[in-house]
Amino acid sequence: MLRFLGKRLLQVIPILILVSIFIFLFVHMIPGDPARLVAGEDATIEDVEMVRKELGLDKPVTEQYFTYMKNLFKGDFGNSLKTNRSVSYEIGERFMPTFWLTVWSMLWAVAVGLFIGVVSATKRNKWQDYLGMFGAVSGLSLPSFWLGLMLIQLFAVTLGWLPSGGMESWKSYILPAFTLGTGVAAVVARFTRSSLMDVLKEDYIRTGRSKGLNERKITWGHGLRNALIPVVTMTGLQFGFLLGGSVVIESVFSWPGLGKLLIDSVAYRDYPVIQAEMLIFALEFILINLVVDLLYGVLNPQIRYE
Amino acid sequence: MKKTYGWLSAFALILLLVLAGCSDSGKEGSAEGSGGDGKKAVKEGNDLVIAVADNFTTLDPHDTNDTLSNSAEKTMMEGLLGFDENMNVIPLLAEEYDANDEATEFTFKLRENVKFHDGTPFNAEAVKVNFDRLADPDSGLKRHSLFALIQSTEVISDYEVKFTLSEPFGAMINTFAHPAALIHSPKALEEYGKDVGKHPVGTGPFKFVEWKPSEGLKIEKNTDYWNEGYPKVDAITFKPVSENGSRIAMLQTGEADFIYPVPTEQVEGVNGKNGIEVESKPSIVVRYMAMNTMKEPYNDIKVRQALNYAIDKDAFIKVVMNGQGEKLDSVIAPDVQFYSKQELYDFNLEKAKELLKEAGVKEGMKAKLWGGNSSSTVKAMEFLQQQLAAVGFDVEVVPMESGTLSDKIWSVQNADDAELELYYGGWSPSTGDADWGIRPLVGGEDAFPPKSYNVSYYDNDEVNKLISAGLQTANEDDRAKAYEDVQKLIWDDAPWVFLSADNTLAGKKNYLKGVYLLPDGSLSVSEAEIE
Repeated sequence: MLRFLGKRLLQVIPILILVSIFIFLFVHMIPGDPARLVAGEDATIEDVEMVRKELGLDKPVTEQYFTYMKNLFKGDFGNSLKTNRSVSYEIGERFMPTFWLTVWSMLWAVAVGLFIGVVSATKRNKWQDYLGMFGAVSGLSLPSFWLGLMLIQLFAVTLGWLPSGGMESWKSYILPAFTLGTGVAAVVARFTRSSLMDVLKEDYIRTGRSKGLNERKITWGHGLRNALIPVVTMTGLQFGFLLGGSVVIESVFSWPGLGKLLIDSVAYRDYPVIQAEMLIFALEFILINLVVDLLYGVLNPQIRYE
Repeated sequence: MKKTYGWLSAFALILLLVLAGCSDSGKEGSAEGSGGDGKKAVKEGNDLVIAVADNFTTLDPHDTNDTLSNSAEKTMMEGLLGFDENMNVIPLLAEEYDANDEATEFTFKLRENVKFHDGTPFNAEAVKVNFDRLADPDSGLKRHSLFALIQSTEVISDYEVKFTLSEPFGAMINTFAHPAALIHSPKALEEYGKDVGKHPVGTGPFKFVEWKPSEGLKIEKNTDYWNEGYPKVDAITFKPVSENGSRIAMLQTGEADFIYPVPTEQVEGVNGKNGIEVESKPSIVVRYMAMNTMKEPYNDIKVRQALNYAIDKDAFIKVVMNGQGEKLDSVIAPDVQFYSKQELYDFNLEKAKELLKEAGVKEGMKAKLWGGNSSSTVKAMEFLQQQLAAVGFDVEVVPMESGTLSDKIWSVQNADDAELELYYGGWSPSTGDADWGIRPLVGGEDAFPPKSYNVSYYDNDEVNKLISAGLQTANEDDRAKAYEDVQKLIWDDAPWVFLSADNTLAGKKNYLKGVYLLPDGSLSVSEAEIE
């Protein structure tokens, strides 16, 4: 087990190096001149060239790449071209808000999604099932910016219970976490339902029933545990996506997150910020995958780590 | 399983509530904006919150190229001169100024007994330190080019300073009033160097408290402000809120006292309700469609004039701007210095068709129209496409992401290679002077991309002569004459289809006075007051 973990963590390093090379090339291939974009809308050619020199963009790409790699190994992501603050600061400012928002969104979404999924699967084709699935389809198909704005209208403007945006107190988390979680809850519900339905058709479930185990124990104990494998995989992926920040949610709720930072940095061709964000996303996905693999073992002890 | 029903019904209830909220706000949208409920909003405390559309990039005015950051800087720092509500130059840290006729020497008498927030006295030496920094070609500052002409800054006495330019530049006074010329405390410059943008220290009505890129900027009252009786509020927080709807919600809930911009389509919905007032004012932003005058058929003046006749500007303003703008009747907007009104190209399809026929342009003429990819820009381009279809043009709208678009336009080294045919764009001359509204856009070969913004590739000797004549003197009457002639020439020659001048739109609670947007789109809060 520990050996497995160590091996997996060592594998991260070459992957990240490959990713960093790929990102660097990719970012520099996007059309658009950061010097001009950073210099602004009414900059003269002199301004643009000055900015280019100032940002070190006048050097050959290969030299830029080696500087970037050298600094990377020192743990220095460079400075944002747009704001001249260090990239670590820019990302650090936004990482925790994004992380916590993701955690809270996932928590309620998984709890509610699992619950609806299980109820729908056990009450197949009854009204509970229809209602649950109606909810799930709605959750999937409501555009989140619309939902977000409606919730603001209702809970902030009309009722005045919650702040309309920003990040001031625990109350600030409620609306964005709810909005962000709806889609996830819906997906979890549907996955759980179909997976559990398949499992409940299995022989061992029939055996359990004929032994006289009560239905609740069968569903929640034996059935769900096996049904969770695909749900865990999917949840891990969703977690990774949300950690990347959601541009829509961050815009609607003025949330200081990574999603809008990425969009803005792409618009400005802010190379250092794009590169650092991409690296972090890659790392997040690698770690989440690892956690998912470990969870498989918890759910199904037959799975061995080689 | 009783619990299940409880859960599910709660879920259904929430869904219903959300849907109800939706139909409610749907009704509001169709309400009359002008009537309103006449309610006076109430404010507790003496601190303001202003919601803006984006993050500030820096708080160093010498290194700033966005109006939003300039707005924040102007709360804390001041220049020798500034602009009033109508973009007229007014004295701030200078009490009077004087220029020689050749527009090469500018002398300022400074206001006395002014202190920076860190206690450093404001004097000629402080001015010199700032302008030496700006004029230094190795400074790496984004606004250096505005001040590159300054050859020397001399301290005549404690409160008198003289600038000498390397060549005549008649528009220099307006450049001194530009937000880029705000003055840092020399002590802060020395202490923080390039990082002064995170620690702004000026002489302005407000002092810097804290700035976090994602949460916003906090400033507080400068109790030693030189202008007796101001500021009248204790503190201001600027919050970046990029989503239009969320900014409006903050104003409705009272979480913000002032917001800008307000999207044109939302004005009707909120104006006069919940104690909200939307203020619409003329700006100096001009909207135009540039035609590449070096390309067929736009090298023919008849075609360019025809397209000016072919577009219904009233409809443009109504459809694209939701009525928030004026027809553009010169190459610059009315609040720009030395503006001179021209006779409009009225909407006249017959005339347009006739001119096109004379020019030999056939039905089904294909053209590509370039522009940005924001929804309002695309809407404008589609409008132009429809209008031009009526005179037989088959226009393809090509919206591009900003980086790609700038690459397409400014990577052209040789004017003959330019692919650009038609371009929809806007311009705001941040110095408020005619020169900066004309020279970069239609100032001949010196302004061709990549040097500047002359995307019409318009090169007219007479225009070029007049543009430089306007800069050769500091004499207002001579300058006015030159710009009057130049505007007439450009208007008749029509390198653009002249469309509109925007309005600025801001929303505020009706207890708030003295906060307003200037025509250049920057914000003034020094007279802010809660009634």
